[in-house]
Amino acid sequence: MKRHFRELSVLAALLLMLLVLALFTPNFYEPQPLLSRLTAAAPKLILACGAALIIISRQIDISIGSLFAVCGTCAGLLAAAKIPFAFAIAAAIGIGAIGGAINGALVAGLGLPSIVVTLATMVTLREALRLAQQGVFINLPEGAQWFGLAMKPGQSFICAVALAVLVVLAFATKHLAAGRFIYAVGSDAEAARLAGIRPRAITFAVFVLMGALAGLAAVLNMAQSPQVDPNSGRGLELEAIAAAVVGGVAVSGGRGKLWGVLIGLLLLVCIGPALTYAGVKPYWEKAIQGAIILLAVVADGLRSSARKGLFD
Amino acid sequence: MIKKLKSHEAILVTLLIAEFLFFNATGRRFATIDNLFNIVRHSVEIGLLALVMTPIILTGGIDLSIGSTLGLCAILFGKLWRDAGLPPWAAAIGAILVGGACGLLNGALITQLRLPPLIVTLGTFSLFRGLAEAITRGVDAFTNFPESFLFLGSGQILGVPTQAWILLAVAILIWLIVHRTVLGRSFRAIGFSSEGARYAGLPVERRILFCYVLAGLVAGIASLTYTARLGTAKADAGYGYELLAITAVVLGGTSIFGGIGSVHGAMLGVAALAVLNNGLTRVPAVMNIASELSGVLTGALLLSALALGTLPKHLAAWRARRHISLH
Repeated sequence: MKRHFRELSVLAALLLMLLVLALFTPNFYEPQPLLSRLTAAAPKLILACGAALIIISRQIDISIGSLFAVCGTCAGLLAAAKIPFAFAIAAAIGIGAIGGAINGALVAGLGLPSIVVTLATMVTLREALRLAQQGVFINLPEGAQWFGLAMKPGQSFICAVALAVLVVLAFATKHLAAGRFIYAVGSDAEAARLAGIRPRAITFAVFVLMGALAGLAAVLNMAQSPQVDPNSGRGLELEAIAAAVVGGVAVSGGRGKLWGVLIGLLLLVCIGPALTYAGVKPYWEKAIQGAIILLAVVADGLRSSARKGLFD
Repeated sequence: MIKKLKSHEAILVTLLIAEFLFFNATGRRFATIDNLFNIVRHSVEIGLLALVMTPIILTGGIDLSIGSTLGLCAILFGKLWRDAGLPPWAAAIGAILVGGACGLLNGALITQLRLPPLIVTLGTFSLFRGLAEAITRGVDAFTNFPESFLFLGSGQILGVPTQAWILLAVAILIWLIVHRTVLGRSFRAIGFSSEGARYAGLPVERRILFCYVLAGLVAGIASLTYTARLGTAKADAGYGYELLAITAVVLGGTSIFGGIGSVHGAMLGVAALAVLNNGLTRVPAVMNIASELSGVLTGALLLSALALGTLPKHLAAWRARRHISLH
């Protein structure tokens, strides 16, 4: 109970939010809009899982929104060129992994701070994409949307893929040695090194995984519409980081659970309709997002300084 | 260390001369007095932000919210002037104070709760920009400022663009603080080892707070020259400027890990970025894609400057390893 306090408190907030929505906006629970809402959040869940792993290893990656757009555009161009869809999907994931490997090499190989490296790659990728594509949308061929399924099974499939990724990663971080190494490196890289773990290899691997997840998220996003928008993904890095931080991943590294990330994301997904009901206009969205990130880290900061006060 | 910094500045000056020769050869009407003033006018805001980013990075921190602070100040300046009916000078003071409050929020969260600067300023990056968007409802823009205010952005004093004098004054002030006072020396001590600085009796929290508040105040000033130069204040004012400021500081030889760096280096970095940005718009072949291209090149420059900055450390480690294996 105590070990899961942070996650359980977010779960309580989520349940409260769901109750409020049930009382005041019952049409939130109509199956079709709810499924559409969850489907739209599925790519964000995948990005948030990646962001959580990055933060647990005590790094940060703000280039994932740009990488997401690059992967989506590349996959869209391949699909539009009548290349089999499976190949386009593999290409998106591969390109994402390469982008993650570049970040990882600069961070783990040269020992540079991840915030500055990924700030630079965020802008470089975004501007390179603008240069190459000039903002032109890409029309996908027939049968690409919803992976060739009907709308409803397609939506369910997308949600299932995202959930499967979450379950696999949650299992891996809890029960596999490689997953525990991420926590070890994040809580104390030097201690991890003395214990025989190679912190730089782990950091590099986490960045590559993040890139591949960004590619997968881009595919799941692409399959939801008949066109690919090369400007997509702006601000997604903040949404992913917000979901992870709200879900109990500590920004100081080494602590956090992936199922907490799911709760954090669902809470953020529910906030939108709740605010709309409360009469808050959509142009407040960015400010509220920033406030949520700050609130989550302030809550953690207060908790940890309270603990420090006891044992100092 | 002094030798290393000097060599760094020599590289930057060489880069500047190379840029100048290249754009002079390929660009149209690049090397004219008009264009020189144009470059100066366009680099004032980034120069101001780079000046105050330097002490922050020297202490080992970072401020990602500085461009958003500029945007929020510009919007509030417009709001105070047009909707609250204040005279421009009073609205300007209000905008600068709002900048200081933004810096205070960053600094207080970082020092009082001991939160990492990157996550705090990432949050306020979104919060400040979001507030600017919310206040303008995403569409409103402030225009038709009085001539007396626009003079700040397009006039000249003694034959030099007005805002260049502001940049010069702030640059001299910050240079004196960083290089000639105990206060400036303490920034480097904190960046080198904040625990060590604390044991040496330095008020680490207050010094860090000072850096972030100063950054906010100067971002407020930058919002005024930005608004006066463009003649409008919109919610996207200063978007992406944090990257340009950080790039200029790192190009100028300031270590991203803190402890080492100089203000004049950062100014040279600003000049290198500004000449690149302006030069590309003068070359006929890339004129139409100049903004995208300069974004890509800026990012690439930052990455290579960061990578080159770690080179001496890696070389030394390699030499040490070889030394051990030889004996």
